[in-house]
Amino acid sequence: MADSLQVEKRDIRGKKRLRRLRDTGTIPAVLYGHKLEAISLSVSGGDVTAIINHGARMVDLTGAVNESALIRDVQWDTFGHHPIHVDFTRVAADERVEMVVAIEFRGEAPGIKEGGVVQHLLHELQIECPAGQIPEKIEVSINELALDDTIRVSDLKLDPSITVLDDETQSIVHCVLPTEQPEEGEGDLLGESAEPEVIGRKDEEESDD
Amino acid sequence: MALMPKRVKHRKSQRGRIKGNATRGNRVVFGDFGLQTTEAGWISAQTIEAGRIAAQQYLREEGRLYIRVFPDKSVSSIPLETRMGKGKGEPDYWAASVKPGTVLFEIGGTTEEAARICFRRLAHKMPVATRLLHRRAI
Repeated sequence: MADSLQVEKRDIRGKKRLRRLRDTGTIPAVLYGHKLEAISLSVSGGDVTAIINHGARMVDLTGAVNESALIRDVQWDTFGHHPIHVDFTRVAADERVEMVVAIEFRGEAPGIKEGGVVQHLLHELQIECPAGQIPEKIEVSINELALDDTIRVSDLKLDPSITVLDDETQSIVHCVLPTEQPEEGEGDLLGESAEPEVIGRKDEEESDD
Repeated sequence: MALMPKRVKHRKSQRGRIKGNATRGNRVVFGDFGLQTTEAGWISAQTIEAGRIAAQQYLREEGRLYIRVFPDKSVSSIPLETRMGKGKGEPDYWAASVKPGTVLFEIGGTTEEAARICFRRLAHKMPVATRLLHRRAI
């Protein structure tokens, strides 16, 4: 079941007025989609943060509008603490939508005990699925990842209703031997006397001659 | 070896002022966790290198460290006991100018606990206050 979110219609626009609105703990939002008119809304910033941290993507909007919507985009402040604007799209629960879902790795790879390093190559997966069945995250078990093994997009066991839009041959995670890094002495840190080449300097000197 | 540009247009740069917050480079992009600065400042190439060594000594061969800042600003200085005047000093070191919100380092392929410990070691080397930042799906 989708979380419900209380929204209000918003008439105010403009940078200064919206900044004052955000100071009260309410953030601007917009609802669009289904070829209907876009509606400017305002929602509680705390409620939006809680819903996003909970992993929900579908919400039931109540108050000024009563319909189910998908959180399409969120704008965050500089520090990624607080949302400053939310985009909602009108969707029906059975409507297929394209989404980007986070990949989470579970377990411990046996390849680590063989001296390997697990490298996560893909952090997000682009999928198409019914709006009511958007997974919070895609869990990938690395419990059977031996040395020199790779888990690809085609190896994922997903719900049949989910279609992966990313390239199926793309690697998600692999376990490889670590690359040797040259040891650097302390002298390299301190003896930094070389200067970079100055663009155009040589040409000037030649022209002077 | 400490980072520095290969080619530059001018050897010396003006000091400048760091105004406002970071609007770019303020999200975790490559790894799973990031070290974000909450203050503005200059981070010298030596400091970045010291942070890298501190982090990699903890990480060993587990996980991957990403450096998200590059020292592209030359900082000049005049020798000790020099009389005033006679022009600007010679380039002394290279620094990255960071605004509050900039992600300095990222770590991927480790647990959150390991990343926290690693960043704590790394943050001790930094001349600015920092915090841990998670990757966000939306």
